[in-house]
Amino acid sequence: MAVLAPASGSATPVARRKRLGRTLSDRRTRFGLVNAAPVVVYLLILFVYPIFSTLMLSLKGEDGGLTLHWYADAFRGANLEILLTTLRISAETSLLALVVGFALASAISRLTPLWAGLAMLVVIVPHFISALVRTYGWIILLGDNGVVNNVLTDLHFPGAPFQLLYNETGVVIGTTAVMLPYTVLLLYAVMKGIDRRLLAAAASMGAGRITIFRRVYVPLVAPGLVNAGVLSFILCLGYYLTPALMGGEKQTMVASLIDEQVMKQNQWNGASALGIILLLLTFAGLLLLRLLKSAGEALRNRGTAS
Amino acid sequence: MPELKLNLVPEQSLVAPEAAAGTGKPLTVTALRKTYGAVTAVDEVSMEIAAGEFVTFLGSSGSGKTTTLMMIAGFCEPDSGSVVVGGRDVTRLAPQKRGLGFVFQQYLLFPHMTVWENVAFPLQLRGVSRAEQRRRVGETLEMAGLSALARRRPRELSGGQQQRVALCRALVYRPPVILMDEPLGALDKKLRDQLQTEIKRIQRELGLTVIYVTHDQEEALVLSDRIAVMRDGRIDQFDTPRELFERPRTPFVADFLGAANFLPGQVEQLTSTHTLVRLDTGGVLKARPRPGAEGARVRVAVQPGRLVLCAPDDGFCTGTVETVTYVGTLVRVTVRPAGRAATEPVRLELPVGRAPAVGESVGITADPENVSVFPDAEDGG
Repeated sequence: MAVLAPASGSATPVARRKRLGRTLSDRRTRFGLVNAAPVVVYLLILFVYPIFSTLMLSLKGEDGGLTLHWYADAFRGANLEILLTTLRISAETSLLALVVGFALASAISRLTPLWAGLAMLVVIVPHFISALVRTYGWIILLGDNGVVNNVLTDLHFPGAPFQLLYNETGVVIGTTAVMLPYTVLLLYAVMKGIDRRLLAAAASMGAGRITIFRRVYVPLVAPGLVNAGVLSFILCLGYYLTPALMGGEKQTMVASLIDEQVMKQNQWNGASALGIILLLLTFAGLLLLRLLKSAGEALRNRGTAS
Repeated sequence: MPELKLNLVPEQSLVAPEAAAGTGKPLTVTALRKTYGAVTAVDEVSMEIAAGEFVTFLGSSGSGKTTTLMMIAGFCEPDSGSVVVGGRDVTRLAPQKRGLGFVFQQYLLFPHMTVWENVAFPLQLRGVSRAEQRRRVGETLEMAGLSALARRRPRELSGGQQQRVALCRALVYRPPVILMDEPLGALDKKLRDQLQTEIKRIQRELGLTVIYVTHDQEEALVLSDRIAVMRDGRIDQFDTPRELFERPRTPFVADFLGAANFLPGQVEQLTSTHTLVRLDTGGVLKARPRPGAEGARVRVAVQPGRLVLCAPDDGFCTGTVETVTYVGTLVRVTVRPAGRAATEPVRLELPVGRAPAVGESVGITADPENVSVFPDAEDGG
């Protein structure tokens, strides 16, 4: 996620050219360039060119000139609502994936290696199955006569059966399940790295379980929480399949809108604009990650003031 | 250190109220026992530690010293026995309810907090007001010479500095007893010496009760009021360093603390004032009186530093100087007893001025007060 590389220092053009020349004459640099060439060509053809042409498409007016018409269109009426829905569902999903992922990862990190390995397998293996199959699995589970509702009805749970499909609940449940392996893996890695004796140290000086969790454990996991949250948010933004199958009319997300514009309306320019907006939102997410990290750092430093 | 009042919120009171005096509390351990499967890690350990006393558990790894400490701290539950701190039975309490201080070998500072926050943490747990926190953390860091580092993170500090912070963190809330598990084990020799002096100074100034675990006998001797020498889950002897050194109760203690010479022999005469032992090398050695029978096989233990050279045939042993090694202010000398070639050389530590020459024929003698006699059957560890 090193998208936001620090800006290089401002040097005069002459000095920069000199430095470039010196760097190029370095044998290791030349060797590195030769090695990197295939990847650079690959990325130019399959990554930079498509994004660039999408950008051009999104700026092209009906008369062939440049226009922001498609962007204006995306932020108007129903389209704006879809954009906001996408943001809302992504936020809800990543929050839920974080909470569930946190509970799972912290439980797994306390197991013995053998059981931890097995539990990890259970979390990750479903990811190997096609998302389509998994989504249909959820539909079977959550339908009006699905397993969940049948069990709840049999238990005379008040209010059962619930509407769990073709609404926001369904979308959030289904998408959370897709995001879970990412959050669990990221959080597990961080939690494994925490020296559990630190918790014992806190207990030795009188901290109870809740205090240890709040003052020691969570702060130590915090960087992982930020990473996992932003990652699942970004993945959700452009996620298509589950929202399309498990959501209703009101849960249309940007990806579905793009699909509709391309497949049904043959409206490539509008779809391109939406794609670019998604890309910008992703960048915004990464920027947010950076800001959160430096804000956290600043906050902690301020707390030190004696 | 001026008066330090413990400012506890009543329902959070972690320390017995008497602790407000700011000094250490007494601690009593009774018949503590811990087994892991078939292995007995700690076997019926009992001891009484007075308020303000510095006690060290000394032993090699597997002697049960750390397990005993962990049971006192509450990190490990004993199978039987009890731990009483300042009159309060804490045997079944969780570590956080015991209110003790603990200093770990690995420092275990909170990496997400600064030095200041680390030391303030236990005070915050006790609901101490911000102003009081500021005063006490400031004083404690000052005492440890850490004031300039208050805003640093633990990872920006050296090992010695980190351990000082860990010490401050355990001191700042005035626990009735501070437990230290080989706190200087990860530091180099010079730093250890320096921190030993500091720990001892702070302990004396504040009248702290400290239980210290180490496998380094020199460290134990420097720091402790009393040392519990542990072996195989039991206490071999619990005494002042001087007593341990001069009157070891078992061959193990004599060997572990003083690296004693062991000389086999036979009791020739037993009186109320002394014991005479005829050594297998031929000479006769006078030792402290002890119970037993004349004619019994024994082993005599004398520390290298308690042996003195004399004219040949004047001492209990005559031999040839084999090696002479200078170690700073001392000379280590080994003497091969004449006559029997099979016996081990006798080791001596002499002041530099009294060093003999290699190959010289010498006699060895010792003050009977410094000679211990053990039955032959007891194993020397």
